[in-house]
Amino acid sequence: MFQHIPKFDRLWWLLLLPSLVFLLPDTGRAIPAFARMYGTSCSTCHLDFPKLNDFGKAFKDAGFKFPKDNEAMLKIPPVMLGAPANKELWPKAIWPGTIPGIPPIGLRYTTYLQYTGSSSSNFAPLTPPGTLPPLVPATDFETGLFSLYTAGNFGSDIAFWVNDDLSVSGANANGGLGDAYLKFVNIGRFIKLPQSALNLRVGEFELEIPFTQARSIWTSSYDIYLQSNIGARNPLFPQQFVNNQYVLGETGRGVELSGGRHTGGYNYSIAFIDQSTGGDVGNSPYVPTALGSNHGGLGVQSNADFKDIYTSFNYRFNLESDKDSRRAIQAAGATGPHDHTYLNLGTYYFYGRSVQRLLGAASDGASTVLTAREPFYRVGGNMTFNYRCCLQFNALYMFGHDMNLLPVDATGTLIPLQSLGQITATGFIRGNPATFSGGFADVEWLAYPWLMVMMRYDGVNSNSDRINALTTPSFTGSPFNAGFGSTRNRFTPAVQFLVHANIKASFEYEFRPSQSVIIANNPVTGLPMAFNPFHTNTAVVGLDFAY
Amino acid sequence: MNRNLLLMILILAVASATCIAGTLEGKVSTGNSVVYVDTIAGKTFPAPSKTALISQRGLAFVPHVTVVQEGTTVDFQNDDSVQHNVFWPSVGGNKKDAHNMGTWPQGDKRSYKFSRSGVVPLLCNVHPEMSGYLIVSPTPYFVQTDASGNFKIDNIPDGKYTVVVWHEGSKPVNKSVNVAGTGKVDFTITQ
Repeated sequence: MFQHIPKFDRLWWLLLLPSLVFLLPDTGRAIPAFARMYGTSCSTCHLDFPKLNDFGKAFKDAGFKFPKDNEAMLKIPPVMLGAPANKELWPKAIWPGTIPGIPPIGLRYTTYLQYTGSSSSNFAPLTPPGTLPPLVPATDFETGLFSLYTAGNFGSDIAFWVNDDLSVSGANANGGLGDAYLKFVNIGRFIKLPQSALNLRVGEFELEIPFTQARSIWTSSYDIYLQSNIGARNPLFPQQFVNNQYVLGETGRGVELSGGRHTGGYNYSIAFIDQSTGGDVGNSPYVPTALGSNHGGLGVQSNADFKDIYTSFNYRFNLESDKDSRRAIQAAGATGPHDHTYLNLGTYYFYGRSVQRLLGAASDGASTVLTAREPFYRVGGNMTFNYRCCLQFNALYMFGHDMNLLPVDATGTLIPLQSLGQITATGFIRGNPATFSGGFADVEWLAYPWLMVMMRYDGVNSNSDRINALTTPSFTGSPFNAGFGSTRNRFTPAVQFLVHANIKASFEYEFRPSQSVIIANNPVTGLPMAFNPFHTNTAVVGLDFAY
Repeated sequence: MNRNLLLMILILAVASATCIAGTLEGKVSTGNSVVYVDTIAGKTFPAPSKTALISQRGLAFVPHVTVVQEGTTVDFQNDDSVQHNVFWPSVGGNKKDAHNMGTWPQGDKRSYKFSRSGVVPLLCNVHPEMSGYLIVSPTPYFVQTDASGNFKIDNIPDGKYTVVVWHEGSKPVNKSVNVAGTGKVDFTITQ
């Protein structure tokens, strides 16, 4: 239908749709899991769900319960797993605990309509010769995620969280586990540490990255959080034997020590997680594991003995002039409570080892498995300035660095990567590291309690940007590893309407200033250069509801 | 003679007292309603010196419905460990009387003198689900019915009045009533 509508009109329709949705009759109520338990609105904890306000952060810090007088606030009391008098038998034990009075289950569903500029056909040169270029339709309806959330507190400051995408893009079982963990809040009390100084989390969880990706209000992901580090393979450039699929936005499996508060003062996190850089995983039907991989069990999930380490530290300066208000969870204002005016500064560091294995030869010529262990790190800083309820500036910078171990033959000569397998490798030497840098900056303005207006800039610079493909007509390898340093950037204006406290209509327009997939030598300088730059802009209209 | 005179004076006194301090009673079809006598032309009443108290406790306004006389000062007290706000979008449907009291923490209270009569929907902009009602009566003749809808207003002088009944979720209903010693009126509320 859209084929006969001029482009300008199409865009108008996309802009108009959220407005039309907003005018739908007001017949529903927001009743997600915690809202049911406490008989309170989503907006008690969220500004523009899933974004947490200060009270929501305090609720999470406390282990998914009210920071004070939790029992009095619960409208559905928990079920005791034993009489309180058991405390007399074991006064220092936390047994028997409680379970929530009702299963605290929340569900969330998203659906989208996306629009892609006709310039998407400019990617056709990336298609290998003799094959058809893909067709990218101008408009496309996309079913998103249907996710289940369950979370709460088992008493004794033991919190739990599990969320799972039951389906993605309409395909059953195509989803996956999100976060699933137990959190032992304030365990520092056993060794007389200050309140909230030490928590322990065990399971699978999103790291305490400065801005959550899993529960971001943005429809599109932060580009830098999805940046993996893949080395340049183009023989025209210094080659890199780096194939690190790890991205900071993914969940990790392991343990985390954390402490502090997200509503003022410091907070920190130290996590030890499975190494998961996409290399070989040691599952084998012949090797038994504790969970029985040779009998169809779980096997193993990490691909190295080494555990990756993530650390973060943030300090938040609440800037209210009144001392009492500064210490409160939310600041009191003349027209209502609001989040503090605050400045948050933080830093984070991730260290891991990317493992690659290949068949080679030992010094005596015997066939052996060579293992390249390439240490890598991601380091950066983050800043948030929040003005009361309604205006927030965020920025994050990240630098990524992977050691590059190149295979050599018995004479110590570098093996061109395209010849790997034809020439037997016997060891590695260090080459040019693979690096990237970038980040994002955004501004989020809550114009009304039901209207969020946002703008974001994303920039990623990589010496082998896996997404911003560049190729030469003569290059036959993967165009995504061409070896050019290029900055992939975009501006994303967005607007979101809370139709109800639990239903959101969103619109994002992703404007990519310039992109090119073709390079050739500059006739003047003789250096390779990108040309025929073009814009591939996209727009997304989304509907998102939780209940 | 003197005895007859005294008896006559006594009868007149009782009759007079009955006329000044009559009773209005009846039944509202829905319990927990508010009944009050509407504005009486040419008559004003001094503002009560006693204040009323509305608490915010357990993420709720307690009591949920309060009725006071025009001119009463109401104390709003936060008895929760979370911050609360109090605001109302109108008084008696008049949006010009909307007011935001601000936000305050546990144990604190703020006061407001209600000088206009009408229904005041009380809200908290931190917790949108919180709801309370303050009914400001223009006269001192008001009462909340019991759960069955029965009500009785004492000390009401003889006269002809407009009696208003308010119930949450319903439009106010009014009736004209004559009170001569006693008055009786029943109301049917439709939701």
